[in-house]
Amino acid sequence: MVGFSREVAKRIFAEELRNSNLSFRDGEDQHQYAPMYLLTPTGAKCNRVFIVGTLTERDDIGGDTEYWRGRIVDPTGSILVYAGQYQPEAAQKLASIEPPAYVAVVGKPNLYQTEDGNVMISLRAEAIQKVDEATRDRWVLDTAERTQERLNTLAEAAPVSGEFSTADKETALPAMDVDRAKQHYNTDIKQYRMMVIRALNSLRSDLGQGPKTEPIEDVKLDANMASVEPESHTPDYAQTTANDRGKAKLEPKQDPSKKSKSKASAAKETLLSGFSDSEQDEVETIPVFKKS
Amino acid sequence: MKELVDQIKTRLKDQSIEVPEEEIVARLKKLVDDFHVPDAEARRSVINYFLKEHGVVQVRASSVPVKVNEISEPNRWVDLEVKVLALWEPASDAIAQTGLVGDSTGTVKFVKWAKSGLPDLVEGKSYSIRRVVTDEYQGKPSVKLNRTSQVAELDHDVDAVAATRSGPAEDKKIADISEAGLWVNLKVKVVQLWDSNSETISQSGLVGDETGSLKFVKWAKAGLPELAEARSYSLQNVVTNEYQGRFSVKLNRTSQIIELDSDIEVGSQSVDFTGAMVDIQKGSGLIKRCPICRRSLTKGICGEHGKVDGTYDLRIKAVLDDGRRVHDIIINRETTERLVGLTLEEAKKMAMDTLDHEVVRSMIEERLLGRYYTVTGPRVDRYILVETINEAPAVAANDVDELISLVEVD
Repeated sequence: MVGFSREVAKRIFAEELRNSNLSFRDGEDQHQYAPMYLLTPTGAKCNRVFIVGTLTERDDIGGDTEYWRGRIVDPTGSILVYAGQYQPEAAQKLASIEPPAYVAVVGKPNLYQTEDGNVMISLRAEAIQKVDEATRDRWVLDTAERTQERLNTLAEAAPVSGEFSTADKETALPAMDVDRAKQHYNTDIKQYRMMVIRALNSLRSDLGQGPKTEPIEDVKLDANMASVEPESHTPDYAQTTANDRGKAKLEPKQDPSKKSKSKASAAKETLLSGFSDSEQDEVETIPVFKKS
Repeated sequence: MKELVDQIKTRLKDQSIEVPEEEIVARLKKLVDDFHVPDAEARRSVINYFLKEHGVVQVRASSVPVKVNEISEPNRWVDLEVKVLALWEPASDAIAQTGLVGDSTGTVKFVKWAKSGLPDLVEGKSYSIRRVVTDEYQGKPSVKLNRTSQVAELDHDVDAVAATRSGPAEDKKIADISEAGLWVNLKVKVVQLWDSNSETISQSGLVGDETGSLKFVKWAKAGLPELAEARSYSLQNVVTNEYQGRFSVKLNRTSQIIELDSDIEVGSQSVDFTGAMVDIQKGSGLIKRCPICRRSLTKGICGEHGKVDGTYDLRIKAVLDDGRRVHDIIINRETTERLVGLTLEEAKKMAMDTLDHEVVRSMIEERLLGRYYTVTGPRVDRYILVETINEAPAVAANDVDELISLVEVD
C-alpha cells in the first residue's frame, strides 16, 4: 500500500458528465496501468464519481453472461451505468433493484467513441445501492456546491492563453486542470451556473411544504433563475445542450406563474414521467467538436 | 572502435598494465556487436575486466581528509581523524564493528564490514581512518570501513564532542512536529499499545500530549525499558519520521525513557468529518480475531500466532468521501451494533443460517452505502476511529436558498 491513496469520488451532474469528452492517463509514465482520468468542462479531474439519482430503467443487455445497464437520472439529465461480470456485486445489485428507485452509484467514468465519431460517456459501477430520498436531496446540494466551487475557480482563472502560468493559490482545482478544461471545452461558465441553479430550484421545489420549509418566494427565485424555469423538461434540455453545446441557448419552457402550484408533486411527476423520452438512443450520443 | 581501444589502453597503462590490443578488441567486440552494450558501458566493463585480471584493486576516487560535520553526501571517499565514542552490537554477521566516532565538529555512525579484515577499534581511542565511504540512511550520514580502508591508531587524543547526534534534541510538543529526521524530546502518555508485527520492533502504539497524539515505534535493538499503557514518560532523543503526511517517532539506542510522576493529559485530536459512505471494505461485518493478540484472522490464521480458534467480533471498515477528501474509518462493535441495528449474536446467527459470513457485510452495505454520515473520533494513522456516527441531517430549504443566492448569474 506504499504511496497508495484512494481516488476521491467527484460530484458531477449528469449534464456535465455528458458534455465531457476528454480523458487521459495521468503522470509522465503513461503506462497502461496508470490511472485514467476524465476532465469535465468545469475542470473536475475524475477517476471516480459518486452520483445519486433515480434509476429509471435497467436491462440485461448481455449475451451469455449478464451485462446490466441502468439509467440514472438527476435534476440535469441522465447517465448510463454499466455492471457486468467484472463488477459482480454491482451487477447483482443493479439486477435486484426495481426501477424507479433512488440509487447511489460509485463508479468510474468511461468514454466510448462510436464509429460515426460520437463520444459516449458511461459509468462502470463499482458499487450500487438503493438509498432514500433524503440522501438523493443531499447529493444534489452537495454536487451543486462542488460544481459551484469549480465554476468560481474557473471564473477567477486568467483567460485562456498559450502559457500555463495561472496563479493557483487555494482554489478548488489545480491551475493546470482549469486551463486544460478551458482550452478543450471553451467552457461557458454561465451555462453551468444556470445548470446549478436549475438543479437547486428543482431540489427546492422537491422539498415541498415540509414543516420547516418557508413559503417559496417567487420574486427571489425569479431573480436568481434568470430565464431558466425550474421545471423545464430535463431530457429536452439535455438534448438541446448536447446539440448546441457552447451556445447555452435556453428558453423558458413554461409560464413562470405555474410555479406556485403544488411544487412537490409537479416536480416529481416531471422527474418520473419525463424520462421515457430520453430512451431514444440519440440522446445518449454527444457530438464531438474538434477544437483547434 | 579504434578510439575506444586507445582509451582503454591508456587507462590500463596508467596502472602499468600491458594488454595485447587484439585481446581488448575481442572483448570489446563481443560486448558491443554481440550484446549491444553501449560504448561507454563496454569500455568500463573491459577496463574493469583487465584490472581485475591483473589483481589491481580499483580505487574509484581518491579520498580527501574531512571533518565529521563536512560529511554531507553519500558515496564519497574520505579520510577522518576521530575518536571512538561508542561501540554497538552489530546487527549482522557481515558487520565486524559498529558504533559512533567523532571529532571536534560532530559525530557519525560507522560500520566496519567483517570482510574488511581491519583491526578492531577500541572505545575511547583515537584513529586515523583513511579511505572510508560515506553513506546515508533517512537523512543520517554514516561511514563504512571496507577492504580498501586503512586504520592507524593515533598517538594523540582527538577532541570529540559529546556523543549526541547532530546537535541536541529539542523539547517539542506533538502538534509542533512537522519535519522528519529531527531529534526531539517529548513528554507523553502512552495512549495505546499495538501488537508488534515485526521482530525488529519491541513496542509500537500511540503516545499523546496536550496537543495531540502520534504513533511511536521502539526498536528491539534499542534495548529500552517497556512502556506501559496510561503511564506518562519523558522520551528523550527520539527521532521523527514521516509516512504519507503522518508523523511518528522512533525510539532507538540513543534514546532514553524516563517515567514521569506527573500525569500528562492527552488532548483529544478528534476529527469531525462529513461525507458519503462510498465503500464498505473487505474485513467488515462478522470477523474472527486471534484470542491472543486480537488481530483479525485471515482464513482462520493469525499473522503472529498461526492457526488459532478465533473469537467473533463485529466491525466496519469503510470509506467516507466528501468529494474533496477521503477518510478511512473504523467502527467498533458497539457502534456497529447500534448503527446497523444488529447484535453480534444476531450476526452470528445470520451467518450460520446462510453458511456465509459475507451476508453480514452485505447487510451493512445495504444500510450504509451511498448515504451521508458525520463521524467524530481520533485520527490514528490513516483511520478515523469512530466514536460517534450520525446520518447527516436532511437538507433544509434554507440550505438550498443559501446556495442559490451564492451562485452568480449575470
